[in-house]
Amino acid sequence: MNSTAATAQMHAEVLVIGSGAGGATTAAVLAQAGFDVLIVEEGEWIEQGSVVPFSLQQMDFQYRAGGVTVALGLPSIAYTEGRCAGGGTEINSGLYRRPPEDLLQRWATDFCINDLRPEEVMSIANEVEQVISVSLVPGPPSAPSDVLRRGAERLGWQNSEIPRWMKYASGDASSGQRQSMTRTYLPQAASHGARLVTGCRIDQLQMADGKATRATTTLGDGRHGTIDFRHVFVCGGAIQSPALLQRSRIAGYIGRSLAVHPTVKLTARFADELNVPGDVPVHQVKEFAPDLSFGGSASQPGLVALALSDQWRTFSRAITDWRRMSIYYAAITSEGRGRVRAVRGLRDPIVTYALTRRDRALLGSGLSRLALLMLEAGADEVYPSFRGAPVVRNRRDLATMQSTFSAAKASVMTVHLCSTVPMGEDTRRCGANSFGRVHDTTNVWVNDASLLPTAPGVNPQGTVMALAIRNARRFAATERPRG
Amino acid sequence: MPSASRLRRLDTIVGPFADLLLTADLPQLPDARRAEVVEFVQRRANGVPSFTRFGLTVIALLYRGVMAAPGGRLVARFLASKSIPLLGEYPRLIRSLGYAYVWDRWPDTLPTGAAS
Ligand SMILES: Cc1cc2nc3c(=O)[nH]c(=O)nc-3n(C[C@H](O)[C@H](O)[C@H](O)COP(=O)(O)OP(=O)(O)OC[C@H]3O[C@@H](n4cnc5c(N)ncnc54)[C@H](O)[C@@H]3O)c2cc1C
Repeated sequence: MNSTAATAQMHAEVLVIGSGAGGATTAAVLAQAGFDVLIVEEGEWIEQGSVVPFSLQQMDFQYRAGGVTVALGLPSIAYTEGRCAGGGTEINSGLYRRPPEDLLQRWATDFCINDLRPEEVMSIANEVEQVISVSLVPGPPSAPSDVLRRGAERLGWQNSEIPRWMKYASGDASSGQRQSMTRTYLPQAASHGARLVTGCRIDQLQMADGKATRATTTLGDGRHGTIDFRHVFVCGGAIQSPALLQRSRIAGYIGRSLAVHPTVKLTARFADELNVPGDVPVHQVKEFAPDLSFGGSASQPGLVALALSDQWRTFSRAITDWRRMSIYYAAITSEGRGRVRAVRGLRDPIVTYALTRRDRALLGSGLSRLALLMLEAGADEVYPSFRGAPVVRNRRDLATMQSTFSAAKASVMTVHLCSTVPMGEDTRRCGANSFGRVHDTTNVWVNDASLLPTAPGVNPQGTVMALAIRNARRFAATERPRG
Repeated sequence: MPSASRLRRLDTIVGPFADLLLTADLPQLPDARRAEVVEFVQRRANGVPSFTRFGLTVIALLYRGVMAAPGGRLVARFLASKSIPLLGEYPRLIRSLGYAYVWDRWPDTLPTGAAS
């Protein structure tokens, strides 16, 4: 799919803001239904393979703010967002989880979401899995992935390989081609006539009596422009979507309930070389799910140095062994909540997040259990990412680690952001209705991770895509294309 | 969008401090490499979102003030070695960006900064 250059004045029947998991699927469904669709993406189109995956170079090209984004709090939580054609789907680990059926049921009840039928969502998930080629790695897992399997099995903990949206050209893991949005739903949208404009940011929606008629834009060269439309789908992700609505003075329950999966990390060193710089482990340990999940992270040498940096004085000597090291995480389902606030005069929103006491304790116990798992898998040294952390070589060190850990000293981060415009009919806690239309507006829809009422406790992209397709289909069934 | 002159100002504030920290932490990092790392850190600092940028500028100015006083470079290094709430986030950010760049670009660098 080729993106077209943005111009100062553009028109569309349906404007889709953002081309990530939510935006690309929305555009594909609506274009197929005959709507004239314009997708506007702030980032650029970066061809897969033209940047090294999980590198600083990739962060320069495909991450918002080069990956240096933070939710303020005690501790602050570093988060990352994609900013390129395809959004987060281009840079993420590609680990696919189906929407949890029991959670859908709970969301429907707790947030008064009409017609949220798990069987419908599961059937959409089936379609999505075909389109993005969800599959297991052919052949044996990579060595860093096998560490998770081995450690969990020794402890009798539940673990499994998580399928990914990948196509494997040959029989080995390294031949995988990520089936992100630039490979799947964006070309599908284009084949039905949708246009994609990259390097163009939507600054604001102009509103009159609950109706949006025009968007103001900033083009790549700094010039400003406008886009006229009949309907708008805001799919900028869980931070940018609420910020755009707030900048457009749309009131309601927007940006008040950011939910994330806070994550703490450690680096483990083994006797043999195992580091795979360009990929991530595909096993996850779900023994303590949904409260706690363990998995593996990207482990480029630069990221290993970063993971050791909190306790550099004692950990730095290990950096020369980076080929024998890999990074792992413990992620929690948090009870805490954050806020996204657009402030007049500031280009970017202020993001805050408050962990609860239970969240902090869970991060500590998660890190301890993960370190134990590493020892069981044969790690000779474990380096937890918090200030003052000891090197963990045995169970005695583990006890020391437990007693010195505090979340305030840890490098907490997250890549799963959601719930800033929760969907449902309860306007006291939902920003959009049961199908994503923003309450008190007539033609403004949100259709991305913002809609998830809570953090799902699993990798969220599958859920984001299935819900976005459900909502877009409902729209197509109730609105007629002009054409 | 922040104006070009404001971007330059943050460059000049962050650069000398990054250079100071890297010289202390990785004393054998060759000068040309250190200059490249400092440039990277400056670029990333310039790209941070508005509010973080505001906080970063305030703390960076504080450190610059300390560095300008007699014996200030030593004091700044001492402060950077302590994990002081809020103030400590600045050296932490500079270090994490700097180390990540060094080992991303030259993976076989020794802990002293020396090329292996
Ligand atoms: C590093 C990383 C690893 C991850 N790993 C996994 C994983 O393994 N499995 C999984 O299920 N999930 C994973 N995720 C999460 C997953 O990528 C997200 O849940 C998903 O991409 C969210 O989709 P979205 O449509 O809400 O937003 P995004 O995919 O982030 O797309 C939003 C797009 O909108 C654009 N945009 C924003 N504002 C504007 C504006 N004003 N004007 C124009 N364009 C705008 C952005 O540039 C961006 O491209 C990961 C995320 C990251 C960052």
